[in-house]
Amino acid sequence: MTNSLILMPMRSFFIVFLLVAFGVQAQETAMTSSEISVFTEGVKSEAKNTKSITSDFVQYKHLDFLSNDIETSGKMIFKAPNLIKWQYTAPYNYSVVFKDDKLLINDGGTKNTVDIGSSKMFKKMNVLIVNSVKGNMFDDDVFEISYFKTATNNKAVFIPKDKNLAEFISRFELLFNKKDNQVEEVKLIEPSYDFTRILFKNRILNPTVADAVFSN
Amino acid sequence: MRYLAISLLLLVFSSCSLKTTEGLREQVAQVSEIQNPYFSNTSEDYVYKAKLDIYGRYFGGILVVKKLTKNSHRVVFTTELGNRIFDFSYNDDSFTPNYVVDQLDKKLILNILERDFRVLVKEYVKPTSQFSTDYGNLYQTNDDGRFNFYKFAKDTKRLESIVNTTKTKEKIIFSFEGDTQIAKQIDITHQSIKFNISLIKFENQ
Repeated sequence: MTNSLILMPMRSFFIVFLLVAFGVQAQETAMTSSEISVFTEGVKSEAKNTKSITSDFVQYKHLDFLSNDIETSGKMIFKAPNLIKWQYTAPYNYSVVFKDDKLLINDGGTKNTVDIGSSKMFKKMNVLIVNSVKGNMFDDDVFEISYFKTATNNKAVFIPKDKNLAEFISRFELLFNKKDNQVEEVKLIEPSYDFTRILFKNRILNPTVADAVFSN
Repeated sequence: MRYLAISLLLLVFSSCSLKTTEGLREQVAQVSEIQNPYFSNTSEDYVYKAKLDIYGRYFGGILVVKKLTKNSHRVVFTTELGNRIFDFSYNDDSFTPNYVVDQLDKKLILNILERDFRVLVKEYVKPTSQFSTDYGNLYQTNDDGRFNFYKFAKDTKRLESIVNTTKTKEKIIFSFEGDTQIAKQIDITHQSIKFNISLIKFENQ
């Protein structure tokens, strides 16, 4: 009894401490203009050295009316200047290659070159991801861009200026790791506030990637 | 001459009879209500990998069905990459298309999709008649000028299929694989048009 009385405030203090510590860490502030230029230059210089990327990813589709987000996962392969492949392996096999303004789809063996997934919205998003590793995304006059920072990450938020695009998407968010200026997370928020969140992990920079990977 | 007349009559008669109930004896329905259990749990997210063949155009993606209240369901189809293709709300007998992508936003297509998913998610229906067969029970219900036949297996009581018909023709077959409460695979096959939907349930959901 005595012990618990002593422990209680101590435990509460610890919880409050944890909350404050995490709260501070997660807190997001707007970048100053000099920070923006350091950040964008950093991404551009990193992008110059990026010839290829392979990375595992997990995608969470959040629909407000569902109890749980829909989780799918796989591998993303990028090769400069603009080849990109999303290869889903769980819970099913599906891959899509963005190549020469076309979508090459392999849906568990069913192959297609034209699909509704070729909606302008995702094309834009892929252009954005490709550009983010190439380093010219920040010149894009299609978006209104704002910049934020936390203790560990930099974040760029893109709000489409184009009305057609704004119908599909209210904003994109790209989360960069501060250490290496690589994209860690992409979040795509719809006007309904439903969103798609893609988390990258096990990223390998500049591995050898054969062109055949993108034949799909 | 008489034989010819009889043959002709037989031919006319047989061509008018519905394949679904061929050779079966119609009875008064012995239950007031039957249940399609596959989308009946409000705490379940029903998530399926979907392949749609709409007049030869192929659409792949993820189909989500959620029962929201006793009589309402939401049906959303997105691409694998997450963007919405269509988003429907069913509430009692009302239907609201919340969103339909341009390529599918045509009255003819929308009407078919509306009917397909309404039949699929409708939980309670009142049978007008019943047919007993060796494999189980077949219940007939009215559906807006057409009929739906719900086929339940005798041993497992599992809903195996729903056949949507006119008076004389089978129009759509909904077949269900899985257990009594969860449909692991669903195939919606139109008999007279090239319009098919294949659904396979996510294993990790």
